[in-house]
Amino acid sequence: MRQPTRQTRREFLKRLGALSSLGTAAPFALNLAGIGAASAQANDYKAIVCLFMFGGNDHFNMVMPYDTTPHAEYIAVRGTQGAGGIGYARASLAATSFGTLTAQSYGSQFALCPSMSALSTLYAQGNAAVLANIGPLITPTNRTQYRNNSVPMPPKLFSHNDQQSVWQAYASEGVRTGWGGRMGDLLASQNTNTIFTAISAAGNAVFLAGDSIFQYQISNTGATAINALATRPFGIPSATGSASMDALRNIITDASSTSTLNLERDHVDVVKRSVNAAGLVTSALAAKPANSTGIALPTGSTGNRVAQQLQAVARLISPEARAFTGARRQVFFVSIGGFDTHDNETLALQDDAAAGRQGLHGQVSRAIEYFYNATVAMGMQNNVTLFTASDFGRTLTSNGDGTDHGWGAHHFVVGGAVRGGDIYGTMPLTRLHTPTTANDQDSGSGRLIPTTSVDQLAATLATWFGVSGGDLTDVAPNIGNFNANLGFMI
Amino acid sequence: MWFRNLAAVGLLALLTACGGGGGSDSGSGGTATTAIPASCTYAASAEPNIADNGSHPTQQEASRFLAQASFGPREASINALTQSSYASWLNNQFAQPQANHLTCVNQELARAAALGQGGNQDFFFQSWWGQAMTRPDQLRQRVAFALSQIFVVSFEGNLSESYRGIASYYDMLGRNAFGNYRQLLEDVSLHPSMGIYLSHLRNQKENSSGRVPDENYAREVMQLFSIGLYELNNDGTIRLSGGNPIETYTNDDVSGLAKVFTGYSWAGPDRSNARFSESNSARDPNRDVLPMQGYPQYHSISQKSFLGTTIAAQGAATVASMDSDLDIALDRLYNHPNVGPFIGRQLIQRLVTSNPSPAYVNRVANAFNSGSAHGFGNGTRGDMKAVIAAVLLDAEARPASPGTGDGKLREPVLRLANWGRAFNTSSASGSWRIGNTDSSTGSLGQTPMRSSSVFNFYRPGYLPPNTHMATAGLVAPEMQITHETSVAGYVNFMQSVVQNGVGASVSGLRDVRPDYSAEIALANNSDALIDRVNLLVVRGGMKASTRASIKTAVDAITISSTNATNAANARRQRVYLTVFLAMASPEYLIQK
Repeated sequence: MRQPTRQTRREFLKRLGALSSLGTAAPFALNLAGIGAASAQANDYKAIVCLFMFGGNDHFNMVMPYDTTPHAEYIAVRGTQGAGGIGYARASLAATSFGTLTAQSYGSQFALCPSMSALSTLYAQGNAAVLANIGPLITPTNRTQYRNNSVPMPPKLFSHNDQQSVWQAYASEGVRTGWGGRMGDLLASQNTNTIFTAISAAGNAVFLAGDSIFQYQISNTGATAINALATRPFGIPSATGSASMDALRNIITDASSTSTLNLERDHVDVVKRSVNAAGLVTSALAAKPANSTGIALPTGSTGNRVAQQLQAVARLISPEARAFTGARRQVFFVSIGGFDTHDNETLALQDDAAAGRQGLHGQVSRAIEYFYNATVAMGMQNNVTLFTASDFGRTLTSNGDGTDHGWGAHHFVVGGAVRGGDIYGTMPLTRLHTPTTANDQDSGSGRLIPTTSVDQLAATLATWFGVSGGDLTDVAPNIGNFNANLGFMI
Repeated sequence: MWFRNLAAVGLLALLTACGGGGGSDSGSGGTATTAIPASCTYAASAEPNIADNGSHPTQQEASRFLAQASFGPREASINALTQSSYASWLNNQFAQPQANHLTCVNQELARAAALGQGGNQDFFFQSWWGQAMTRPDQLRQRVAFALSQIFVVSFEGNLSESYRGIASYYDMLGRNAFGNYRQLLEDVSLHPSMGIYLSHLRNQKENSSGRVPDENYAREVMQLFSIGLYELNNDGTIRLSGGNPIETYTNDDVSGLAKVFTGYSWAGPDRSNARFSESNSARDPNRDVLPMQGYPQYHSISQKSFLGTTIAAQGAATVASMDSDLDIALDRLYNHPNVGPFIGRQLIQRLVTSNPSPAYVNRVANAFNSGSAHGFGNGTRGDMKAVIAAVLLDAEARPASPGTGDGKLREPVLRLANWGRAFNTSSASGSWRIGNTDSSTGSLGQTPMRSSSVFNFYRPGYLPPNTHMATAGLVAPEMQITHETSVAGYVNFMQSVVQNGVGASVSGLRDVRPDYSAEIALANNSDALIDRVNLLVVRGGMKASTRASIKTAVDAITISSTNATNAANARRQRVYLTVFLAMASPEYLIQK
């Protein structure tokens, strides 16, 4: 198990070298921030994909202790599935257990839930890593500090909508920029069309909003063009020329710039982006059809919405599509909902092969497997890194067949550039704090106080992405309180 | 918040239906099936007669008011209001009887069963659209729709097959729309659809093996249905202490309140363990629409502390002690000073404008607190008539010249309803067969009662990044479901709807079709046609540039003086184009 390491001077020099290698041929479009990027070479490409599990994923039933004693402690709190509890019996984890890691006080053996066998394989191949007990923090925090409220803490803990926002943007609902968008701000100048810097396949997400970068929305099948801009509507005769189409364009794009209300202008701006980008996106996706080799979804993906979203992402990052979009740094957002498992948790999360049912954990695992394989098929696996996120983790305690809102959680980073097959950070105890058995990360009911901060994930990914060390605080505002590089990226 | 009681609903449908994060582009504007006889119909009705009190709005003022207080103006409702006043209109609306969706859904279920078919969410949507487009109790419906976006349950998730349950829940919101907030809060808390959705149905007390009560409802009833996260001033601004907001509750309050919401499950003639756990032998056929009942054997008896209130530990729970616990808890929430500004501000946002001034919120909160405003209300805290009157009759509701930060984006569902009412749609089947309108690529991107989570389609505090609104520090909730795909999808959808109508196809024709006869009669005169559409759709607020664009395009469609068929086609094209362009215009999309 790896502890976070400080960014080394060697890495700094490596980035400096990459910079100098640009020589005088550096593209003029690179601005100062871009010049700070380590990997700003002419033909490089990098993408970061956020896979958000809405509702608050139960990490305690996703990555579990496999050593006998910690596992028994976990079962002591959660009970066993099929026997009135929700915990996984140790025997059921054998096939998805990791190898033995460097021992910490909390053990050396861990396992994924059985539904995530595909991710378990990626882990074993070294292309996936686990981030242990990660969550929003302002500064390192322990149980005493939490209970005494003696250090600054993230706002509105345990609230769904706010913690979704805090994970994506470090502040509660209403925050205006997220760390994906801020990375885009710093690196968008490397893209031919900045509109394709931050792309969501799953609705508006503050993660993708920057100071200058807008989120662009695609559907699973690409862009939606406005028909009546290209074809006269209502069978209006050709003798009218383009009058009806011109009228529509002038009105919806406010061609006369006569809208004065903020909301009118804001809506017009969305329409303009839609109109301006639709043709290019359609051409780009047509260059990499959904049924092409390596891109086609595996059978059984019909109900897997996040896999379908990732397919749209895979098509858009393909070299064929980038010939149209001209993108070199892109941030994506995909999502899957239903993780607020207060009840019937086992049913919700687990696959049930006998019933032909895909649980949420199984869907996530297979979607990531599909996406990783798609990048391999395109020879891009070292250029694309996916990470998972969620509102929060959940309580260690059970309410009988479900769990409640927590804080820190385990997550994955996946990609060829990930130093995989390892767990980064500190695995938590799987027992509750009591006067006799302390658990310094238990804020109550096993709601974990994180030991790794979202800032550290953001800073590590941003460094790989090419954000300069001096700009890291733009992407990770609290990084000064933590080690800036978790070391999981090659 | 989404998973509960899988035993009662279809597992497969449930587990593939959860898209809490959006991207749920499924379904279309109408599900085409074979023609079916109508059994539950809504037919266009006459406008109610309203008392004349001498203060008459103009046509444009009436249109503007009706965009806020109803599912949209139509010629008859505008004319009726110009002979009356806003207050008289409210009085009349408060007295309009409610039509129940459950009745309609029951009829559709029975009819489907007779054909050997199962239920369908469309049964509710059809009833919803039929009522919205035709029924005279417009204000109750509009407020119920607003309440359905505050006290959220959704077909999306574990209620996917609770057709009766959702209809009954919506009827409950409508029943309480003109009642009192305290009763509303209790009815919401005990409705089995909410019990399923936020998982306090069959929630059990803590036990010695470490099980703790489910905290889901306890948390959300505070965060979303009553007091919110931070202490508020009466004007809705956040109270500060030493420069910092003051949290209304802690996790300990949630855990304490969660104990109150233990021991509730399905209604029925007894309180047996079997009925609590819904074993096959103990299921009341109306359990999905009857308020949950208490099962004392599952109710926590330990001390319950929340929000400064403590219910002492009890020796044993009884039905009476459960009732008492619930009353203490709900009274504590009801009497919290946050409720007036917290709920009042959201009602303003749903009906009138996204960013009411603190003074406006203060006046609405005062109406909540005192139970009276503008002569409405019975003087009891939480009187909804007083709150509604304060929202709609406030001077700020319809400023003479809106400021740059004013207005709200009309949500997509309202746009289709506006169209349906303005152009006197009728349903060929009588059943208003409009189905799921979720798709943002080819439909509205929004369906009533299909929010992706308890946090509604959009948040009251949503601040759209990189916008003029955000720069001004102003929220725009409906922008949360607005993006490059949805704006194109809406225009394409309306192009089709304006020409062909909406809903399932019956014999090749859409079920819900407009009657443009009044517009076609004006079509030879483009100015007159545009004036009429401007009044009905844009409340007279069409910009000169938009008007000029429409006029140019409309006049380009020549009306033959020699060929009657061609002339009739041309008139229809002029009408379609005028309505379509008006409904795509920014000044229509932003209600102000």
